[in-house]
Amino acid sequence: MATINASVSISSDIMSYPVRINKTMTMKKAGSCHGLEETTGLGYKKYTATTQVTLLDVSAETAAVNKASKVYIRNTGSDKSQYFIITLADAADNTEEVGRLYGGDWLLMPWEAASADHDIMVQPSTAEPMTLEYIAFIDPS
Amino acid sequence: MATTTASVSISSSDLTPGTSLNINASTTCMKAGLTTGLEKIEMGKNILTTANGTTSLKLATAAGADGAGKVYLCNNATDDTFYIRLDLHDTIVGRLYAGDWLFLPWSQNDTDNELVIQAFGGSCPYEYAIFKEDETIVAGS
Repeated sequence: MATINASVSISSDIMSYPVRINKTMTMKKAGSCHGLEETTGLGYKKYTATTQVTLLDVSAETAAVNKASKVYIRNTGSDKSQYFIITLADAADNTEEVGRLYGGDWLLMPWEAASADHDIMVQPSTAEPMTLEYIAFIDPS
Repeated sequence: MATTTASVSISSSDLTPGTSLNINASTTCMKAGLTTGLEKIEMGKNILTTANGTTSLKLATAAGADGAGKVYLCNNATDDTFYIRLDLHDTIVGRLYAGDWLFLPWSQNDTDNELVIQAFGGSCPYEYAIFKEDETIVAGS
């Protein structure tokens, strides 16, 4: 059993008093005290077109349906005007937009991987070279 | 201008034999395409019961469309089998089991892009924060 820890730290002065969020989780299999053991490995992909493409394919990653898999994605750029649109393919094979990762932005979210058309797709906002860093932690239990 | 910084650290010493995993990233949350920070926040803490069924965490609004909002959500349950499922409109994002958190962009690409949560297994205390751009305030009745 592997131990994977993920910590988030958020600080903000939006309010008139400081906002501080600090939380650590250990990634476990669904409904279990045992840690996730599989990963896609840390990957990087460079894009030079604005075409929407699949970043993580459910069938290729053997993610089990309805478990506790997780995905981390980061736009490695620093330009806050350039972004990747992150989408999930829904049951009708359309896409539901999650959000936009601008330069330096990252996400860490669970991945239901509920069916073969629940892929994670990305679309760059520009044809200028942009790179994503990503890794999926897979729950095949 | 407000400054909101979000950092993540993911580590594992035994996921991949012979290789430690260490991912560290940090971003300053800006308005879409700009170098000015997000200036609005909505945060809270509550308990989601299985009887609640699907519950709207946050509705999407036309005024917030295509923004650079960010969402933090944490399931503070302690029973490993209890989880919160997050949906975007009718698309399942994934499951947050006890202790799990997520941080993701939320662009509200259309008004059918609301954040929906539902508890399974048992009652799940949760906390959330939404860092956002403008939105339409619902008129009083």
